[in-house]
Amino acid sequence: MIELIDIKKTFQGRTGMLSTADVHALRGVSLSIENGGALALLGESGCGKTTLGRILAGLETYDSGDIVIDGTSLNGAPKGERDRLQRKIQLIHQDPYAALNPVRTIEKSLTAPLKLRAKQSGKDKGWVEQRARELLTIVGLDPDEVLYKYPHNLSGGQRQRVVIARALTVDPTVLVADEAVSMIDVSLRLGILQLLNDLRRRLKIAVVFITHDVAAARYVALDGDICVIYRGEIFEYGRTDDVIHAPVNPYTQSLLSAVPVLVGLERPGPDRFIPLEELVTGRAVSGCLFSDRCPFAVEVCHQDHPDLLPIEELSRLNRCFFPTVRHVTAVSASGEASA
Amino acid sequence: MATQAATRVEQNACSIRGLTVVYRVERHEYAAVQDVDLDIPSGEITAVIGESGSGKTTLAMAMLNAVQPPGRIAAGSVVYPTAGDILRLSGKRLRRLRGDSISMVFQTSQNSLNPLKRIGGQAMDLARSHGRDPRGTLREARDLCAKMSLDADRVLTSYQHELSGGMRQRVGIMLALVLQPEVVLLDEPTTALDVLSQSEVLQILRDLQRERRFSAVLITHDMGVVAELADRVAVMYAGRIVERGRTRDVLIRPDHPYTRALIRSIPRLSGDLSEAVPLPGLPPSLTTIPDHGCVFRARCAYRMPICDTVQPPLESVGPDHDSACYLEGFPSD
Repeated sequence: MIELIDIKKTFQGRTGMLSTADVHALRGVSLSIENGGALALLGESGCGKTTLGRILAGLETYDSGDIVIDGTSLNGAPKGERDRLQRKIQLIHQDPYAALNPVRTIEKSLTAPLKLRAKQSGKDKGWVEQRARELLTIVGLDPDEVLYKYPHNLSGGQRQRVVIARALTVDPTVLVADEAVSMIDVSLRLGILQLLNDLRRRLKIAVVFITHDVAAARYVALDGDICVIYRGEIFEYGRTDDVIHAPVNPYTQSLLSAVPVLVGLERPGPDRFIPLEELVTGRAVSGCLFSDRCPFAVEVCHQDHPDLLPIEELSRLNRCFFPTVRHVTAVSASGEASA
Repeated sequence: MATQAATRVEQNACSIRGLTVVYRVERHEYAAVQDVDLDIPSGEITAVIGESGSGKTTLAMAMLNAVQPPGRIAAGSVVYPTAGDILRLSGKRLRRLRGDSISMVFQTSQNSLNPLKRIGGQAMDLARSHGRDPRGTLREARDLCAKMSLDADRVLTSYQHELSGGMRQRVGIMLALVLQPEVVLLDEPTTALDVLSQSEVLQILRDLQRERRFSAVLITHDMGVVAELADRVAVMYAGRIVERGRTRDVLIRPDHPYTRALIRSIPRLSGDLSEAVPLPGLPPSLTTIPDHGCVFRARCAYRMPICDTVQPPLESVGPDHDSACYLEGFPSD
């Protein structure tokens, strides 16, 4: 199990003539991921979800807080131990076109980390080759077809599968997929999502799925949790289908309202709404951080800052003074002529 | 009102016939758009949906007669009722038509806006180059800004870098509409936007279209955007239109195996997720599109011997609903 405890991260702004304000990417985020579990981090761009993914994978430092992996605190651990633990958390980038070295064949990209491991554990050359083929088969590619190709010979979906295979070379326990399907052709997206589910089931690898696409989050984390992040704070956190079908936080509700409805196959939720204005990052907001865009905000929302509090009967964490279930999610229009 | 709408539908804002666009790759010409027939009914939004490489953007470029080398329009016509066949125009008359009668909203408006000019100045430029009254155009621009809940005073005196992504996209829409063209091409208008900005821009487009009744062609890969915005939809695959009809009909009763599979591959918020099934195989690239037989057969679950021979023609499968498939009466699955 991985626990994040009150992680804070601020990117310092520039000083001097062209000064910019500090960016509070994460303002104290606590969450946990079960072994082999699934967690979807949901939010708009600029909400801090990518920073959180990078901190998890050890690619970014944090200012305060702690990460505890299977009972070991990373803050207290020596560097070697920390590296060893965080190597088990691998990041899948959004852009499979940039994540692979264009002058290396797929074989080279995959065998480089494998050779390192073979050296450490005293395995022979045959193991490296065999393992590379094995990994490509796991991610649904034909080794004979792709092994000696360059990235530009592959489609976006195939490339993303190679990136996942490369992440698997170090036998990770967690994959952090940051918008892993948003640059992939629509007809191939579901295949990648299915692969992530498959890896969870077969290899017991936990998946942290970072996205702004609620439907994709639902597909990957159906038996897991959704954590809705806004401006570096958790706004709502609970079981995936509970949050999607009975959201209590206005920000979650505005995200769910924004999901396009397949009119004819689905009916829009009756309470669907659009927030008052666009997200302006860096704007100072007193009180609740969403109060400037929230159509339900009242006096107290602009003055006081709500805490993330549990709602017992819904087994949910929520950051809003007035948690109210609103029906904003599209429902199946079954009965109205089925395809 | 109803009869008025009916007469409008009968006219087409644009008729495309037999359009073929080829790209030259290493001394060989490959068709990115092959033999496309499409009518854009006046006063409606027609969506063209397809994956990357399906030819949807090339189709939009051909509608502006703006296909760049190594591309070439090999055959066909794109007829606008007021201007005739745009493919026969060139020079000044072509430039006039673009902007006056047809305009385009780009995927990333920040790339189509002049970084050195204020937004208001760009609107005035547009007016001058098309021989319109700059003041009237500016008034129109203000009016449009207000409708899109933009602060006109601020936006028109801003440079593009001072605006957020969603605002820039709205400015792109404003500049496309300010000369009141008959046809607006929307090329992935919300793809570069965040979820919340996307829903706002869709709402704005819907409201503006309802009010002004311009005809629009919406190029997209997102079935959700089609369902939210378009009156009718044409599904493109490997350079051909494989199905077309009213959006509701196509969504509820898709006929072509590709359309059916595409709709089934979308994970949804409602219903059972096990119903979502991925599409097998890969879409063909420009150089691997089969030159005979059905373009989809390699990924099709219902492939028959006849599919290897000739591309099936678009045939009626219902009122105002055509599909290019040999299969009759879909097996229930």
